[in-house]
Amino acid sequence: MTVFFTLTLSAVLLLLLTVAMALVLGWANQAFHVAVDPLVEAIDRVLPGANCGGCGYVGCNEYAVAVAEGKAALNLCAPGGVSCIEALAELTGQEATPALPYRAVVHCAATRDQRLPQQKPLYLGEPTCAAANLVAGFQGCTYGCLGLGDCVRACEYDAIHSIDGVAVVDYDNCIGCKACAAVCPRNIISMVPFKADRMLVVACSNPDNAAATRAVCPIGCISCSMCAKKSDLMQMENSLPIIDYNAYQDENDFALALEKCPRESLIFVGKPSPSDLEKVADEELPERVEADFQTTVDKTEWWG
Amino acid sequence: MVATSPTAFERFLNGIIPENPVYRQLLGMCPVLAVTGAMKPALTMAAATAFVLICANVLVSLIRSLLKPHLRILVFTMTIATFVTIADRFLAAYLYEMSKELGPYVPLIIANCLIISRCEICASKQSVGVALADGVGMSLGFALALASIASVREILGSGTWFGLTVLPSFWPTWGIMVLPPGAFLVLGLLLGLVEWIGHRRATST
Amino acid sequence: MDNVALLVQIFFGAALINNFVLHYFVGICPFLGVSRRIDMAFGMGCAVTFVISIAALLSWTFTYYILRPEAPLPSWLWRLAGGDPEVQIDLSVLSYIMYIFVIASSVQFVEMYVRRFFPPLYKSFGVFLPLITTNCAILFACLEIMKHLQDPMHLWGLAEALTLAIGGGVGFTLAIVLMAGIREELELCDIPKPLQGAGITLIVAGIMAMAFMGFTGVDQGIQNFLNAMIE
Repeated sequence: MTVFFTLTLSAVLLLLLTVAMALVLGWANQAFHVAVDPLVEAIDRVLPGANCGGCGYVGCNEYAVAVAEGKAALNLCAPGGVSCIEALAELTGQEATPALPYRAVVHCAATRDQRLPQQKPLYLGEPTCAAANLVAGFQGCTYGCLGLGDCVRACEYDAIHSIDGVAVVDYDNCIGCKACAAVCPRNIISMVPFKADRMLVVACSNPDNAAATRAVCPIGCISCSMCAKKSDLMQMENSLPIIDYNAYQDENDFALALEKCPRESLIFVGKPSPSDLEKVADEELPERVEADFQTTVDKTEWWG
Repeated sequence: MVATSPTAFERFLNGIIPENPVYRQLLGMCPVLAVTGAMKPALTMAAATAFVLICANVLVSLIRSLLKPHLRILVFTMTIATFVTIADRFLAAYLYEMSKELGPYVPLIIANCLIISRCEICASKQSVGVALADGVGMSLGFALALASIASVREILGSGTWFGLTVLPSFWPTWGIMVLPPGAFLVLGLLLGLVEWIGHRRATST
Repeated sequence: MDNVALLVQIFFGAALINNFVLHYFVGICPFLGVSRRIDMAFGMGCAVTFVISIAALLSWTFTYYILRPEAPLPSWLWRLAGGDPEVQIDLSVLSYIMYIFVIASSVQFVEMYVRRFFPPLYKSFGVFLPLITTNCAILFACLEIMKHLQDPMHLWGLAEALTLAIGGGVGFTLAIVLMAGIREELELCDIPKPLQGAGITLIVAGIMAMAFMGFTGVDQGIQNFLNAMIE
């Protein structure tokens, strides 16, 4: 009798509970239904879904909401590219204004050897820029690239590498997500609108005076202001030249400034121009020499 | 998809070492830390978990065609809760002292992510035979992990193994090993050791 | 006043001395998984505290009225059915299933409610809710409450149950935020490769557990202080 009663009671209780919860949750699902704007959903589907944060919103969904409400421009999504902007324009019925592709630029071009260590590098800490930036004496220049590759690790697109101790962007892969710029502890990576395949950039971040800069770097900017005098599109700010990319039209505008620069602080980055390619078109690439013997000493690979 | 799913034997072998639930997947940490002060409770715990895991895997695999995607986790948990109740009552009836010692950790098997993850990954997608083999393999892997941690802690902490004295009497017992901090330290170091051995084997071959 | 002293003892017992994570090892999964950044750890801690309180409320209600030995509802039904009043009806075998079911459903309900009426709150900690529905820490609080409702002579009231739950939640938040702070600093350290990730986190947790052992006796001290205040 007791067993029978307990069993029945258990079954009835569980059944009642199940029915009650099913009703409550079913009702809640109706009553608390959050109406998601179909436009937001459609925009969300168009966006790449990388959640890179390059647009300035927390994720693709946030950006989709902002676009749907008309609060955000259509051209903020760098990974989506032109096709994404066109799709967004079609969905929202707004005019499509293709954004110039913003690409990462490293404002330092000095290799590790050029950055003149003040003494033999004593830094034995964790090999990350974030850690090395905390201590003095890692290298001579206290503004330049540390070359330990925090940006390399931050890049999800294999578009930035540490070459000879300086970060170099691979513009074939860069999508302009700003991840490297955000992680650089010295803030020497900025986003530049690429109006042409290659752009002129200031490859130095050292605001010190000429003597101090010379002491730590053979190529860094010595604040001579020569470029600013020769080009209207450049001006000195904080002892460094700033290029006005809004007015940047053609790289030839800078020919004179480039010629007068006594250092190597102004460089072109990006893809080589057609004329550059023409110049080297006739040159034959030297064949790679491969070692034709195998050493028995170790497994070192021999490259010519 | 079906063609590439692991077979029963692969599932069985995977569970023991290559995908060991504790050392490789970091699942079911709560009992791993809590009941490994000595070998006996650790193995009782492993047996209880094995019973629940195997039964839940088989049952979920049998009803897998009836599962609705948004309700499946709830169904898994209810299934597990049922078997845990059975295991708990069994222990209380036949191994009362052990049941006392394990305390709340037997019912906490319900919240052991190992079982839910096996239901989700294997049982809800593959046939009963595979699910059974997977359950047995994973249970053995779990038991192995619990036994290894419990051995270290019991031998260093009380100088005994399965209650038998193994260390000479002049050896000072490390009291910290049977206390909560010891559980964390031993598991952390053993995890590092397993990683290190795995890395060395990977590089040497 | 005895009651307040008991509550204080339960709260500090759950939050510091017998910290859920560092003494009872419950809630290890989120403790290892969501302790990379302080803000996320804090969100997780708040979510756990919140869910644990709901779970305590529900499990106390169910256990007290239905599931414990000599619970009013089954006894009443038993007598209604004409059973022998000497015989006890014990439904505690149902407790685990009931807890899981009730907690999972109510968390689902709360999630929908918060999502509808408090979108900012949902954004900051709602995402953690589904992750912890049937987390060990929450089930553990229910089991502790159940344990204290077994002996009809010393029954816990709702206040004690809630104090235990909130104390446990606060303790969990404290542990996970401390761990996140340490892990943010660990990012800059040179950790041997095999120990990176879970290994070093567990070792740090071990050291934290040792530190928390130092809280033993704090509840007694506070009780003495309270008693001295009354006198």
